[in-house]
Amino acid sequence: MAATTESVKADAAEAPLLNKRNMFLGAALYIVFYAWVRWYEGVYGWSAGLDSFAPEFETYWMNFLYIEFVLEVSTAGILWGYLWKSRDRKVMSITPREELRRHFTHWIWLIMYGIAIYYGASYFTEQDGTWHQTIVRDTDFTPSHIIEFYLSYPIYIITGGAALLYAKTRLPTYQQGLALQYLVAIVGPFMILPNVGLNEWGHTFWFMEELFVAPLHYGFVFFGWAALGVLGVLNIECQAIAKLLKKDLA
Amino acid sequence: MSASQSAVRSRAEAVKVSRTFDWMITFTLFFVILGGYHVHFMLTGGDWDFWTDWKDRRLWVTVLPIVGITFPAAVQSILWYRYRLPFGAILAVLGLLFGEWVNRYLNFWGWTYFPVNFVFPSNFMPGAIVLDVILMLSNSMVLTAVLGGLAYGLLFYPGNWPIIAPLHVPVEYNGMMMTLADLQGYHYVRTGTPEYIRMVEKGTLRTFGKDVAPVSAFFSGFVSIIIYFLWHFFGRWFGSTAFVKAA
Repeated sequence: MAATTESVKADAAEAPLLNKRNMFLGAALYIVFYAWVRWYEGVYGWSAGLDSFAPEFETYWMNFLYIEFVLEVSTAGILWGYLWKSRDRKVMSITPREELRRHFTHWIWLIMYGIAIYYGASYFTEQDGTWHQTIVRDTDFTPSHIIEFYLSYPIYIITGGAALLYAKTRLPTYQQGLALQYLVAIVGPFMILPNVGLNEWGHTFWFMEELFVAPLHYGFVFFGWAALGVLGVLNIECQAIAKLLKKDLA
Repeated sequence: MSASQSAVRSRAEAVKVSRTFDWMITFTLFFVILGGYHVHFMLTGGDWDFWTDWKDRRLWVTVLPIVGITFPAAVQSILWYRYRLPFGAILAVLGLLFGEWVNRYLNFWGWTYFPVNFVFPSNFMPGAIVLDVILMLSNSMVLTAVLGGLAYGLLFYPGNWPIIAPLHVPVEYNGMMMTLADLQGYHYVRTGTPEYIRMVEKGTLRTFGKDVAPVSAFFSGFVSIIIYFLWHFFGRWFGSTAFVKAA
């Protein structure tokens, strides 16, 4: 009787399998932050972002760039460092229930990656097209680039890297090596950022905003395909989760 | 982990856990695929999709289905062949349309003030539905590639016709004959406005008159078949569960 009571108490005190609060707070963090960024673009894109030689451009846009560089490097260092430092050194001996809980947490990270990659690859990338069709650039660091290339891309890289690190350091599924398609899904979109080098180099020769489908942009296309690596992650995860649940669903 | 221990405490909990994962997976797939598909699509066919004055009877009809069938084919190759889920193409296309509509409204209109009836995206839903239905009914990649791929190209123009038709009526402006869509482009000057860069109605196919769009759609369908095959196998590769072992 006493043992049963203890067991019920333990169940009640146990952390939930899915921490919904973390999931919704995480999603809200991205959405509210990017809503603010979009507001900033709307106000200071037109009032201070048209002429890169103007003093107000330095104030509102170049300072924004410098600040985001510092914050991104710090965030990546702290987040990735924390995930690595707090890794589970006995990951192969966790209970099945703990493993299931960690798969849920892993999927919270993947949801955040989905949101981050949506803003980076879809929202701010196409937004860059309409800005360049409207304003002729006189710098590589246009208002749309400062947000697209140097804010939204690093954010999805940091998020994706964190998801991969979480999986590698806490889930038994990923202890047999490096999951090829997980690497593709994270490293491929990451390579879009270095490809900005090619893009900016090319734009110093040609005004390619005349043509969004110009071959100069195909590097982005190639690395964008790598997002499909998420299909491999899906397959690995479904196998792992099915193994944990199989006998209960049969 | 001990084989005798269970991760869940009852069958009901197992079902609940499974359903919760379904939602989390669907959300993630939708947005990650959206990101990859959108960046691919905007940089291989985007100009024809952004502006109504690029939505002509020839290159718009030819290029967009060819570059648009890629991700639907890849996603189908996993969702159908591994999970028997018959909505891979629709999932991809809905994602693309979501990304495009949000952008056209909040950014093309909301930031740079192009009216939405000048920048609305193309509609791929009829082709996506046909791709998924053919795959579901036939369970055949070859049939889906040949019939579905062809239909994807052929259905694009009719699927967009009710939307674009009012903008293709002819008007005379300053002594020149053009379409209403051309006139929109004339008034909304862009850095891509110069006529030497706007790839519409090129070549002598225009002299075919009313046959231009069907011929373009047929050609597009032909190439879409080949692209479907190719991307089906890309999709399978991306779905691999291989691990790279440390040396």
